[in-house]
Amino acid sequence: MSRVDPAGFNRGPLTRWLPVLGQAAPEPPDARPFETRASDTPGRFVVRVIFSIPRITVPAMLLAITWQVGESAVPVVMGLAIDRALAAGDAGQLLLWIGVLVVVYIVLTMAARFTGRLNVTALQLLQHRLRTTLSSRVLHPRHTTVRPPDGGVVSTMTNDVARVSFAVLLLTMSISRIVSIVFIAVSLLVVHWLLGVLVLVGAPVVVFLMGMLSRRLSRSTREYQDLLAATVGRASDLVAGYRVIKGIRAEAEATRRYRQASQETLVGAKRNAAVLGRFLVASGVVNGVFVAAVTGLAGWFAVDGQLSIGGLIATVGLTQALLPQIEGIVGASIPNIASSQASAARILEALGNACPVGSGADAPAWSAGAGTDASERSPDAGVLDLRVSGVPHRVAPVELVGLRADDRTAALVAAALLDPHAERAPGIEIRLGGHPVERLTPAEYHARVTVSPHRMTLFSGTIRSNLTSPSGPSSSADRLDAAVRAAACDDFVTDLDALVGENGNRLSGGQRQRVALARALATDTPILVLHDPTTAVDSVTEQVIAERLREVRSDRSILLIASTPALLSCCDRVIDLTSATPEAAGDASERTVA
Amino acid sequence: MSAAAGTNTAAEPGLPIASGRETGRELWRLSRGHRARLAAIGALGVGGAGFGLTFPLVTGYLVDRVQTGTADLGVVLTVTAVMVAAAVVGAVGSAVTIVLATRTYHTILAVLRERLVGRAMTLPQHRVERAGTGDLISRSSDDVTTVADAAPAVIGAVTTTVFTIIVSLAGLVALDWPYAAAFVVTLPIYVVGMRWYLRTGPQVYRAERAAMSARAQQIVESQRGYATVIGFGLAEQRHHSVLRASWGVAVQAARARTVQSMFNARLNCAECLSLATVLVTGFLLIQAGSSTIGAATAAMLLVLRLLEPINQLLLVIDVVQSAAASLNRIVGVTAIPDAESSEPGAREPAMTGDASVRIRRVTFRYGSGPRVLDDIDLDIPTGQHLAVVGASGAGKTTLAAVIAGVHPPETGTVTRPERTAVITQEVHVFAGTVRENLTLSAPDASDREIRQALNTTGASAILDLLPDGLETRVGSGGHQLTDAQAQQIALARLLLFHPQLAIFDEATAEAGSTQAGLLDRAAEAALLGRTGLVIAHRLSQAAACDRIVVMEHGRITECGTHDQLLAAAGVYAGLWAAWEAGRNVREVE
Repeated sequence: MSRVDPAGFNRGPLTRWLPVLGQAAPEPPDARPFETRASDTPGRFVVRVIFSIPRITVPAMLLAITWQVGESAVPVVMGLAIDRALAAGDAGQLLLWIGVLVVVYIVLTMAARFTGRLNVTALQLLQHRLRTTLSSRVLHPRHTTVRPPDGGVVSTMTNDVARVSFAVLLLTMSISRIVSIVFIAVSLLVVHWLLGVLVLVGAPVVVFLMGMLSRRLSRSTREYQDLLAATVGRASDLVAGYRVIKGIRAEAEATRRYRQASQETLVGAKRNAAVLGRFLVASGVVNGVFVAAVTGLAGWFAVDGQLSIGGLIATVGLTQALLPQIEGIVGASIPNIASSQASAARILEALGNACPVGSGADAPAWSAGAGTDASERSPDAGVLDLRVSGVPHRVAPVELVGLRADDRTAALVAAALLDPHAERAPGIEIRLGGHPVERLTPAEYHARVTVSPHRMTLFSGTIRSNLTSPSGPSSSADRLDAAVRAAACDDFVTDLDALVGENGNRLSGGQRQRVALARALATDTPILVLHDPTTAVDSVTEQVIAERLREVRSDRSILLIASTPALLSCCDRVIDLTSATPEAAGDASERTVA
Repeated sequence: MSAAAGTNTAAEPGLPIASGRETGRELWRLSRGHRARLAAIGALGVGGAGFGLTFPLVTGYLVDRVQTGTADLGVVLTVTAVMVAAAVVGAVGSAVTIVLATRTYHTILAVLRERLVGRAMTLPQHRVERAGTGDLISRSSDDVTTVADAAPAVIGAVTTTVFTIIVSLAGLVALDWPYAAAFVVTLPIYVVGMRWYLRTGPQVYRAERAAMSARAQQIVESQRGYATVIGFGLAEQRHHSVLRASWGVAVQAARARTVQSMFNARLNCAECLSLATVLVTGFLLIQAGSSTIGAATAAMLLVLRLLEPINQLLLVIDVVQSAAASLNRIVGVTAIPDAESSEPGAREPAMTGDASVRIRRVTFRYGSGPRVLDDIDLDIPTGQHLAVVGASGAGKTTLAAVIAGVHPPETGTVTRPERTAVITQEVHVFAGTVRENLTLSAPDASDREIRQALNTTGASAILDLLPDGLETRVGSGGHQLTDAQAQQIALARLLLFHPQLAIFDEATAEAGSTQAGLLDRAAEAALLGRTGLVIAHRLSQAAACDRIVVMEHGRITECGTHDQLLAAAGVYAGLWAAWEAGRNVREVE
């Protein structure tokens, strides 16, 4: 037998052979995106999300009820054991009730275990489906988008998705808590009707009162957390600007500013502590009075002879079981309703922004093999026609064409080439092989045109993983080496498998830009568009790149949007737009003479 | 060297991490002003928990009075009144304890995080460069947040939990010592369960957290690289990467919950056993006539009351552990002695009285790597502007860093003026208003001075484009400035500092093509009347300087004015010819 737990849970020799149930499959399931409708309110959306997987939530709810009722039954069993066995001095009854206790514990432990695993499965499945929805429609839109996703999408896809999924616990945990409160009340009804009524009326009142109190607390806690986040953000911001601060000897001023933010947060923390204190006093008093009232009433009934001594002890046990359930509802369920709706509103907003009037709302998720028909090339499929302010320009196959324009015009032309379906400046028209590009699908377009934007991003991984695209057929070693050499990366790229770091931060700005250029040169679409590819590269290296660019382009055309003389000098010809500006490009005063 | 210390190897010369003992000593020192309060917290905590005992004991009393038939309405009312009073006093006692403890916790944390950032700013720069700023960022953000978020867990564990356990055990002893003994025999199960959890839990939680940050990173990269994703047609590939990372968390989350449910099963086992032993003990004691039904009821209630805090204490152990690990990383930085800057070899450049720079026979290498600067001799007289031209890897940036005092030279001497400012290619806009960005280098600058600096660098035009002028919030979460605008602001900030020597390390490189001219003129204006060292990015910049040096492989190969170097027909002349040719290309169509 194996000496270690094969599942990695350090289980002992007696249990390590048992299978571990309820684990997630290693590969992601094929998740269908959620649909959104115009009539969706955040509340309705949450309801639709949490009711979407009844095959998991229904068993989870039943198991959770078993678990919570079992927890509530423990004090009752103890009370009955004291009455029947201890008071009566009956050893047989003692064994019987210990047996009952053990059975209750086994049942509630197993129920708790499988509730937990079903809950986590439900949470993760819902989160995965929500992320699939947001990823395919906002982060990686397949269809026309209104605008690129802003930084908020990151928090939406992590925090908001998680909070909406937590609403599924309302179906499992909250219902089970309510059921066990009802169980306690019914048990008390059996003992004495008035006790049952007191709990049935009193418990909701206590829940309501504590809910009110906790709302003030959670508002104050949120305020404090915002302050803390701001202080932490300030620290990151200052440290991120470390070299700038060092460069102008602003260390003391930076420290002073941070201290100021930190002290404000401390004041917030103290304020929050005071609110917490008031909440604790109030909830302690409410709970204490409630429990004392039930116990005192039961004591009076016992004195009065309406209740046996066993009934009194059972009542005491039942009230003990009541408090954790009330606390669970106040502490978890009520905040959950509010936070899931707020997050659902943010998700709907993100989806709404990305998706105008029903386009692509029901688009299938990404599938393999899109855009294969685009590889059928008609004779002039590789001709790129560009019309700016009515003046036509053409990039013929295998041509290396420079384009010089003021920054604004250059940016507009580059943006139009980047995403032909995005909104574009009115003065710019683009045709590919004679067809207006907006009629091509994104897949068809990008099968022919690669655009390397000026604001480029390296993805974490190795230099090689950045240079090669798994969807592209041609990442032969020769092609990579040629691209690396042409982009003048050969002085620092000694190992293609070296990590580039998050956002390429292991490389300097100039190195990042050269790797991005190599990535563009390593692609194999018939047309390549480069926008200001060497702004962070020194003039000596830029000259080297300009000389090598002519050799590496081989069988494709390159449109080089730049105004650095070194690069333009290597082009077959240069389109000069410095005197032609599309109307949307704004006032002429922004243009500067090259 | 222990295995733990060995993980911080010489290959990655990171910042130090304090040991648990060092952190403990530091916390003890920091608690100096709060010790009376800490004592009060202890006393109040025990007192508050003591009132919590009232309910079980009074209930036991009531049961006994009912059992013996000696109870009447007066007894019931008295018992109820005592319960209410104890609940009120107990609630106030524990609330005051928690409030005091929370205030103390956050006060000490505030001191620590301020020292952390303050120390980070005053550490020798080469030390931080070697470790990378990423480490400092994660300590001042992630670690500070971890410690702050652990406050309820730590305070709850110390105040309510520990005190309740102590007081409840005392209550059991007071009832009848066998009840306490019956509970204590179940403790080994808790100990075994906890040891298993501490062995298994942390690694599973670490894997879960790692999966979560991998997921966040994938999403961030897709968002930040949106243009690249679209331009290269990578949307489908990125979509699948994000989903894989998303599901990676699901796999780890299921494992983490499994560990929790296994731990809960062990706790339930101990709970069940302790309740059963209380029943058996009560049965035997009552049979022997030394206990009453009421006492057994009170013991049952006390044990039920003990279980919840014990479970809570065990469940927050990993929160407390990770807070402790974060504290060690924070204290690791705050405890670096001030004397660090005078470590062997870290010779600050000597200061010249005037604004000139003198470099004599300077060599430099990173660690044990090849020589990056090889026997450099260079003078920049007061007021002169010197340009450095060379390919990447020629040693230009290293030369600038050595002159600025970031790196001490291996051999040779560097003298420079005291007020030296550096602007690099690295653009950073601080979150805050434009004014706050500018006054970083001159906290007392007047509005007039600020306007003047902005006018000089041509940055006033930027203000006109901003909604609130100087008070516009920029940087992270605010208005986004372009790199060129940010660098113009940085140049104005440099002016407010009034440096004698300004070092521009490709400071104007990140401009778009045609903004370059604008930025170069701003840089020229900023240099007026000071000594300047310009690591030239564009040849037009170099040509505008008084003198130019060309560097190759860590050596100066050409030196002279623009005209002299053109006449010499060397490397510089070749570069210039290509540059001129490109400038004269016209459209042929």
